[in-house]
Amino acid sequence: MKKKYAIFPGCLMPTEQYAYELSIREIIPLLGIEIVDLEGFSCCGEPMKSVNQFLTLYLSARNLAIAEKDNLDVFVPCAMCHLALSECQHVFENNPEMKKRINGLLAAENLTYTNKRQIVHTVDLLHDHIGLETIQQHVKKPLKGLKITAHYGCHLIRPSEIGRPVDSENPQKIEAILTAIGAEPTTCPQKLDCCGAPLLTNLPESALTKTGQKLQAIQEQGIHGMVDVCPWCHKMFDNRQTKAGETVAAKLAVPVLYLPQLIGLAFGLSPDALGLDLNLSPVEKLQQKEEA
Amino acid sequence: MHRIGVFVCHCGINIAQNVDVTALTEYASQLNGVVVAKEYKYMCSDVGATLIKDTIKQFNLDGVVIASCSPRMHEHTFRRVANDGGVNPYQVEISNIREQCSWAHTNREQATEKAKYLVRSAVSKALSLEPLKPSKLKVIPEALVIGGGIAGIQASLDLADDGFKVHLVERDPSIGGHMAQLDKTFPTLDCSSCILTPKMMEVANHENIELLSYSDVVGVEGSIGNYTVKIKKKPRYIDVDKCTGCGDCASACRLKDRIVSEFNQGMGKRGAAYMPFPQSVPLKYVIDDKKCLFLTKGKCGDELLCKKACTQGAINFDQKEELVERKVGAIIVATGYDLLNPTAIYEYGYDQSPDIITTLEMERLISSSGPTKGEILRPSNQQKPKSVTFILCVGSRDETQCTWCCRIGCMSALKQVYLLREKLGDDVEINLCYNDLRSYGKGYEEFYRKVRGMQTNMFRGRPSEIRAMKENLKIDIFDTTTSKLFEITTELVVLAPAMIPRVDTTEFARLLRLTLSGDGFFLEAHPKLRPVDTFANGIFIAGCCQAPKDIQDTVSQASGAASRAATILSQEELEIDPLIAMVDEDTCSGCRICLEVCPFNAIEQVQVIKGNKTVTHAKIIEGLCQGCGACVSACPSGAIQQRGFKDSQLLPMIDEIT
Repeated sequence: MKKKYAIFPGCLMPTEQYAYELSIREIIPLLGIEIVDLEGFSCCGEPMKSVNQFLTLYLSARNLAIAEKDNLDVFVPCAMCHLALSECQHVFENNPEMKKRINGLLAAENLTYTNKRQIVHTVDLLHDHIGLETIQQHVKKPLKGLKITAHYGCHLIRPSEIGRPVDSENPQKIEAILTAIGAEPTTCPQKLDCCGAPLLTNLPESALTKTGQKLQAIQEQGIHGMVDVCPWCHKMFDNRQTKAGETVAAKLAVPVLYLPQLIGLAFGLSPDALGLDLNLSPVEKLQQKEEA
Repeated sequence: MHRIGVFVCHCGINIAQNVDVTALTEYASQLNGVVVAKEYKYMCSDVGATLIKDTIKQFNLDGVVIASCSPRMHEHTFRRVANDGGVNPYQVEISNIREQCSWAHTNREQATEKAKYLVRSAVSKALSLEPLKPSKLKVIPEALVIGGGIAGIQASLDLADDGFKVHLVERDPSIGGHMAQLDKTFPTLDCSSCILTPKMMEVANHENIELLSYSDVVGVEGSIGNYTVKIKKKPRYIDVDKCTGCGDCASACRLKDRIVSEFNQGMGKRGAAYMPFPQSVPLKYVIDDKKCLFLTKGKCGDELLCKKACTQGAINFDQKEELVERKVGAIIVATGYDLLNPTAIYEYGYDQSPDIITTLEMERLISSSGPTKGEILRPSNQQKPKSVTFILCVGSRDETQCTWCCRIGCMSALKQVYLLREKLGDDVEINLCYNDLRSYGKGYEEFYRKVRGMQTNMFRGRPSEIRAMKENLKIDIFDTTTSKLFEITTELVVLAPAMIPRVDTTEFARLLRLTLSGDGFFLEAHPKLRPVDTFANGIFIAGCCQAPKDIQDTVSQASGAASRAATILSQEELEIDPLIAMVDEDTCSGCRICLEVCPFNAIEQVQVIKGNKTVTHAKIIEGLCQGCGACVSACPSGAIQQRGFKDSQLLPMIDEIT
């Protein structure tokens, strides 16, 4: 029987970052996982955190409770949503008082959360639950000679005490996946640098400088492309690459893909099915390189 | 019929204020077995002591009860007084009417009543006390010193000069330890090997020192005054009696300059036949059995080049491991420290670039006998660096790694800054990232001031990351004095790693029956007042195996440990306190429960033949037992009793107050 996960889409994926969702829905079912859509999910709560922490916890718990009603584990492709739900899990585990209080509010909708659902992100779903071997078995076009660098994004690596899918100082899971699909994972000193997204609203110039500096460094090191696993990071590195280049006075042309998109290419899926036409960075460079 | 005397002390007004001492004395004199009771203002004074002695003689007493302060204060004093008076010192019982009565209560009437109970109880115990005699133990006037670093060298020389035979065991092929790897020492900038080598030579030539290099201590049995130590001598594959230290074997070795040199911290190369460093003591070569082609593969080309080269015929591949035994009266442990591998802190990128080195590696670069002959060159391109950055507290004072301060990081980095400035000139940029600069010793603060004036950029903070770029290294650091984020671009990074216990400390502690403190170093018996003693009588610790320290402190501690050991070795016999546990062999079932609870490993299991049956029972090792009583209460069959605290002595006390 296929293992089932309820997908929690968050806000960015269904409104602008379609490519992430498209590619996930293409490759995950191929790897023996059934993705289930549930009704009633709301915001994960994270955007409200600086204003109202209790509301954040409540919203996260509500979403988890919906998954619990159907007895499903939750697959959260957005790293920020993943952090919000994981933090709620952590609070429920360590603060029974808070758990009781929130469950009291959830009762109005006939919901309750007992803290028993597993919360997975794209990276650990692929690396830990599906496994490198299974991924390798599906590779039809190994991405030989492609030097790819991985961008994990801050929400995926920190804070480590609430339990994150990867190590906070030296994450290696995406690199292992890249090796499995035949690419050449290439580390650069800027690996853990910020994408800039958290500053985008208040200090757009600083945000784009961060984005631009990182892309520029990658470009200078002769790396062929970058993969990311967070819609916020992708929004910066892919969607705003031209603007970021203008900010740091550099002509940037770094192909930036979602990790599932690159895996899809290795699986021999069509670029359209993976939403590659939605990427604004020069992803065609990567395809040409691959064909050459 | 016993003749007990009771002596009540006023302790100034400490006791007299809340206890009616006169009434108490009067009461005590009426008790069964008591022939006399006296009071005095200060019983522990000379006058008090004379009073006790005279009374003992006058009334021909055979037991003494002192109603005074805690036995921890003056039990020893009163035992001696009683002994002088002619009563066996172990027939003295203290009734604590100060801490347990006058200090604890304010109602004088009730406190006096309680004091009467306490004294009555003590008298009942005094009636059943037996005269005891300390047993004697012969002392072997020889010492074992484990570890041939500066601590072990100093301790060995001190003891040997005192006239005791010393067996110094070093696991490496040469003594010298970490100090031999250093170029200069802070704050006086003495050349490290110039001050160490004469001491090493002295060790080699001293008639009282037996140097067992390239050897491991593998077993320790016995107790204070009489240890039997098993030592494993590793084969050198070179006959030390024939080897002249000429080096022909090393030059001939097929693997010459192909094996990473441990002494040079991996920065230089050696062969399979090698000498760790030119001033090695003993000045003998050794063949590395983990690398040598003949020893690992059974074949080394067509012929054994080293054997052919050696004119003395010293090479001997038939050498085997040898187990020797030595008997000693005291042991000094001076096993030293390890340095934290900086890869533990991933963000400092120690394994990401060859240009990120440790202070000890820098020490080898600075040293004129080092891999670069004293030239400061970047390991990546063998060029002079234009900028060098030191990072202190790498793993030290860090809750995720080592919580403690390494105590040498600041000063060794400052010293290296000074030496680099001398060697590289003024146009080289030198940065130093510190947490707090701790220059706490004699002459240290002055040295720090001198270096501060040498164009050093000081940043206060812990760098968050070191990035290995193509040409150089970039360091992100938030300077907490200016509250600014800096990016330092530099060419050579020197990390000052934390000092950690030797990797095998736990096993070694088990072998020696030593305890470890929370940080994993050997635990001293008292942090202030018994800093070189351990809980195992007769075993002393010195140097960095106890806690991180610099050379000055290490040498002082080593001399301290040597003099503590000499205190034991200089006696022909040792007196063993008789107030220790004893086993009733007929009742003991040999269940081993006492062996588990004894914190001093002072109990062993023995088999004796009684009639035609073999009986197993526990036996107390008198030299090790500290009289804590843990085994007494743990014994399920009541076979262990503690002298001075037998059931037959304690139960009457309880009867009197219930």
